[in-house]
Amino acid sequence: MLEAAKRSDDVRDVVPEPARPVVVNDDAVRTALAQHLSRISGSRTEIVSYGRKSSGFSWITYAFVARSAEGDRKLILRVGPPNGLFAPYSVLPQVYALQALHGSDVPVPALVSSEQDGAEIGFPFFICAHVEGDVPAPWAASELDPDHKRAIARQFVEILASLHRIDPGATPFASLQQGEQRAELRAISGWRASLARPTARYYPLLDWGGRWLHDNCPQLPRRTIVHGDYRIGNFIEHERKITAILDWELTHLGDPHEDLAWAMMPTFNARSRKLYGVLERAEVIDLYQRASGIAVSDKSLAFYEAYALYQAAAIQMCAVRAFEVDRFNDMRLAVMASQMPSIVRAFERALEAAA
Amino acid sequence: MSASFERLIDGIIDALQSHVVPNSRDDFVRGQVFSAIYALNGLKLGADWKVAPLLEQVHLQDETFAAVRRLAGSLTYPEIPATPRTQGDMPDVATIEALRDDGDRRLGQLLLWASGEGARAVNGDVATEIEHLLRRAICDQLKIELATTPKSMLQQIAGGERDGGAAPG
Repeated sequence: MLEAAKRSDDVRDVVPEPARPVVVNDDAVRTALAQHLSRISGSRTEIVSYGRKSSGFSWITYAFVARSAEGDRKLILRVGPPNGLFAPYSVLPQVYALQALHGSDVPVPALVSSEQDGAEIGFPFFICAHVEGDVPAPWAASELDPDHKRAIARQFVEILASLHRIDPGATPFASLQQGEQRAELRAISGWRASLARPTARYYPLLDWGGRWLHDNCPQLPRRTIVHGDYRIGNFIEHERKITAILDWELTHLGDPHEDLAWAMMPTFNARSRKLYGVLERAEVIDLYQRASGIAVSDKSLAFYEAYALYQAAAIQMCAVRAFEVDRFNDMRLAVMASQMPSIVRAFERALEAAA
Repeated sequence: MSASFERLIDGIIDALQSHVVPNSRDDFVRGQVFSAIYALNGLKLGADWKVAPLLEQVHLQDETFAAVRRLAGSLTYPEIPATPRTQGDMPDVATIEALRDDGDRRLGQLLLWASGEGARAVNGDVATEIEHLLRRAICDQLKIELATTPKSMLQQIAGGERDGGAAPG
């Protein structure tokens, strides 16, 4: 998420920043949305069945029906709020993903419209097609039967392999590669800088571990598109089939082990070491290798498992800072502070395994 | 949980006033919420974090500093404070918290030093021993914090659901 914010700095270099309201008002967004869709379609559009779908810390999601002379369309609007945890936001990684992956083996919602400068709505946003189905909760022990979950988990791994098989040079993602420094090292430096902010609580193991990660970052087997938040909970499933991979805001080019390690974090698998609580680690790796043609390195995977926890710790600290320093009164942010001791201890153990 | 007890109480009160009260149509529920706000304001005036777990962390840090000093011998290492850092009258919570935070920074500097090229070049065995000692001690300190951490409610907090499960897409 911080990466998304950082990349948006690059965007700001070329896109002049218009004057914007500081808070997203749902009614104002609805009015502006109707104006926007009317303009781009050339046909008067009314917004019905409109409502917020999430109350996350990052992008705000609205579901609605666009009603025009051509009929009704169920759509999704995602808005990057100016007061979000990782603002300012760039719409580009998500737009690139929906454009580049449309029609590929990686299912994504169809992109309808996007505006980095906010246009009528006033904040970065994109509109995509609504995809029917359910989003599984990553923290809950699902009540779905194990066979169902196995089918979904296998698709989940195969889709990741499909993503990593894509040549990023042939997609708009190539433009995300910037400068001489390796993107992986730049990302680690970004998190280290975030954790080093003077108002954040200092954790000695994170300081030391951040340096270790920077000094020991492995060479990548292949530079691929990395989703950046590939986990249970970031896809839609319908009738035993994954119909869309969601939340592409952290997409970047990098080491494919990063996605694999993130997906297998117990946090996203109801605290289980098995993917979705059903697929053993060895089975995941075997399936992924066969489907992607990429040999998984135990050492790289261990490195990225430690890195995943480091990122998780840094994200938690951003939330704590938002509550403590920026006085953003959302109690969920305050609660995140209580997760720090367990994350830091897990990080220390993961580093031991990676060293 | 939070670094500042008062800030946490303020956040809870604001969350109740901004999000719970406006969405409660039931007079009894609203009465309960306002009572909770009143009680929280009372806690703000008369309560603070428990001293004992913070003091335990400071003592553990002091023991670690002393152990590093013994092991390092004639090696040149980052500054270590004189220990024990708390003596006589019991300091207030803010003072102990500041000592703990200062101790964390110094432990971090020692860990970076012990695992760095410089110390390793002078005496690799001792540097490695100090690094392991520091890592163990810092993890032990985290265990003290974990003992005052309630059981996770991530599922309910993230989804706002009583029982979790699949959320509609």
